Amino acid sequence: MISPNDIQIDRNQGDFHYETDYEFDAGVGLSEDVVRYISKIKNEEKWLLDFRLLALSIFERKPMPTHWSSKDLENIDFDVIRYYLSKGQKPSRTWDEVPDDVKETFERLGIPEQERKFLAGVEAQFDSEAAYSRMKGDLEDKGVIFVGSTEGLMDYPELFKKWFGKVIPSSDNKFSALNSAVFSGGSFIYVPPGVKLEQPLQAYFRINAENFGQFERTLIIADEGAEITYMEGCTAPKFETSTLHSAVVELVALKGAKIQYITVQNWSNNVFNLVTKRALAHEEAEVRWIDCNIGSRLTMKYPGVILKGRKARGEVLSIALANDGQHQDTGAKMVHAADETSSNVISKSISIGSGRTTYRGLVKIPGHLKKCKNNTECDGLLINNESETDTYPAITVQGDDNSVQHEASVSKISAEQIFYLQQRGLSESDAMSMCVNGFVNDLIREFPMEYSVELKRLIDLEMEGSVG
Amino acid sequence: MKNKTSSLFLADPSFDSKDFFQKFSNRRSWEPGWLADYRKEKWENFLNFRNQDLKDERWRFSSRSRLDYSKVEKVTESDQTISVNESSKNGITLDTLGKVILEQPSLLSEITNLSGPNLGADESFLLASTFSESGFFLKVDKGTTHSAPLFVDHTAPSSGEVSFSRNLLVLEPHSEVTLIERMASTARSSDGFVTNLTNAIIGEGAKLRRIVIQDFNDKVTLHNLENFDLLKDAQLTNVSLHLGSAEARLETKGSMLGSGAEFENFSLALGREDQLIDLRTMQYHLASNCRSNLVCKNALLNKSKSIFSGMIKVENKARCSDALQTNRNLLMSEEAVADSIPGLEISANEVKCSHGATTSRIDEQELFYLLSRGIKPNHAEKLIALGFFEEVVEKIVLEEQMEIARNLISQKFDS
Repeated sequence: MISPNDIQIDRNQGDFHYETDYEFDAGVGLSEDVVRYISKIKNEEKWLLDFRLLALSIFERKPMPTHWSSKDLENIDFDVIRYYLSKGQKPSRTWDEVPDDVKETFERLGIPEQERKFLAGVEAQFDSEAAYSRMKGDLEDKGVIFVGSTEGLMDYPELFKKWFGKVIPSSDNKFSALNSAVFSGGSFIYVPPGVKLEQPLQAYFRINAENFGQFERTLIIADEGAEITYMEGCTAPKFETSTLHSAVVELVALKGAKIQYITVQNWSNNVFNLVTKRALAHEEAEVRWIDCNIGSRLTMKYPGVILKGRKARGEVLSIALANDGQHQDTGAKMVHAADETSSNVISKSISIGSGRTTYRGLVKIPGHLKKCKNNTECDGLLINNESETDTYPAITVQGDDNSVQHEASVSKISAEQIFYLQQRGLSESDAMSMCVNGFVNDLIREFPMEYSVELKRLIDLEMEGSVG
Repeated sequence: MKNKTSSLFLADPSFDSKDFFQKFSNRRSWEPGWLADYRKEKWENFLNFRNQDLKDERWRFSSRSRLDYSKVEKVTESDQTISVNESSKNGITLDTLGKVILEQPSLLSEITNLSGPNLGADESFLLASTFSESGFFLKVDKGTTHSAPLFVDHTAPSSGEVSFSRNLLVLEPHSEVTLIERMASTARSSDGFVTNLTNAIIGEGAKLRRIVIQDFNDKVTLHNLENFDLLKDAQLTNVSLHLGSAEARLETKGSMLGSGAEFENFSLALGREDQLIDLRTMQYHLASNCRSNLVCKNALLNKSKSIFSGMIKVENKARCSDALQTNRNLLMSEEAVADSIPGLEISANEVKCSHGATTSRIDEQELFYLLSRGIKPNHAEKLIALGFFEEVVEKIVLEEQMEIARNLISQKFDS
């Protein structure tokens, strides 16, 4: 039995903030000069500067998507956000090279132990640049490339340029355009043909300056028959004014490759988390998004898979938990573009207090395809009387040789369940926690062990004080 | 045609021209003042409404250009598009709108407080409120139960014309009635545009069973808007069969305003050729202990397309709500398209809400079974479609009407 005392965990550990003097600072607000400045600091080639400038013009042209999304988006003030900060450090290779204050931040996040214990490589992002980046020798021997975005585009253009901005074009949406204009940091990973990584790669992201939006850019390419699991976990210090986080994550799974991308998002409650994530699955490839959203003020994230090759498979498993003042607007997109492709979406959401969860889905199967299948399940659990949950799936199917099914349900924990557990001697809040954990259990089991333990604790923490 | 892109502006009649509205008002100058004021107010709302957002989510997947009024050249001046078996005895009042305005206009005064279903076709609501000349009025007095069904017949105007109809149903407390509305093109020329707006107020403990069998010819454009208000313990079973028309925008909303109300909405649509069936529904729970159930079944042949967008909305005060929504789409050709947007917006926690949507083809094994018994392929498909629809057809309950419905469905496969 988990008692509330056991769950004093890292959420509060992340609740601190250093005064850091930034060597490069693009100032406040967004303009062409800021974009040119970022590009110059990074010594970028002209094509990349042009790419950024084009994206900026797209960003300025596109309206906010408030005709379907939360009006809260209007509260983002793009003019008070810092778009680039850096200590001017190159990603460090050894621990000793990392500056002391930065090291201390990571120490408190618990990265060193985790890294030494079982992680194959760590790419920790401190503000805009990777402060620390290392890979185990055996990964390097296998030819796996695990670098930051700047390094990736500069040192390995032949690998990354081909797919960069192709899965998610700058014009995809307003926030992918914003990211394309000002991105820095993130991970670029290439796994050569046939290489199967047994251990997950991991990156930690942190936001550490007030009003500073983080715009990391991730591109993972798994070559034919390669397999990779990537984990990203987020914690952020609490600030007084809102912070914007707008990442773009592109995955490319070539023939027969498998990519599993795991996210645990626990930003503090003032962060706007507006992320575009999409994967391209070639023939017989398999892409799986495992997404867990616990923090932030407003999260809008709809991981997608474009099933481009025959027999490709896409999956999204997501858990969203919204507490007071939070809105988790998450979902999944499955675009079938080849025969015999299949996709599966399972989404579980929990609304606590005045929290609100939204599932938004898109499934598209055009008529010329044969034997495509989709299954979508989304379940919502409402804990308190003011909690809210919405479901907006959109399913388009053409042709007589495809099938989809969609199911959703909303419920609360029944009084009988609580009564039964209380009668066995559990307190009401323990009983509630147990029921909530039971609700998400079959999904949590899909997470790697250390994440599932952490997740269960996070859920318990969120549930504290929600009963009664 | 000033603003064609924002959907509904026509050269003649131009609904927004003062001249046009004035002519209409003059023609109906015999109406009571309050009604003239109401029409004017709605017309002004309509003028203000034009600059709407083109990216309206409530029109997602639909084709506004196919459903708009640009093909209309004239508003029909006839009130003959709706006929009823008049009745004003045994506690039942059933008559055409025209006659009620003439003889007992006060019966209609409630319409000034009523809104449309508000599920996207707001223009149609405003236009029907402004320009309606045809329609019917049904009132069932308190405690009256009428076992034999009442009939209303709708037809379409001539090509290029639009008819705006406004219907009001009032069921006083503890009354009970079955209403059958038949929509069909009666003559070769009746293939115009039909905008039909229905409001129903179902009083405490009252029961309404309403059946709509729509079989317009394949040139008709239909906008059918239904808004039901259910008071305490009221019960509504609404069954709609859509077998005809070229394109149809269908909106049905049931608001459960009093506790213990029950709203059942069953519909089927058979799409053929390049038909477009755009159905939007809402099960709106505003009071506690209400129950709603929706079943929407679409079978699609040829290049037809269906859109089902259903919302279950539960307000915070609607405790112990029980809401169900099921959408089944049967794709019977390679080019048919089914869009499905089953939605939930839940703000109360003591609820049981679920929805399910599936889209698939005919089951291979079922087909094989029939073929192996020597049944021809197209006949087998018909049998499977009939079986698929039976769940909705049997909600009609009345044996004779069920048989009519089955025959109509069969005929579509035979032609």
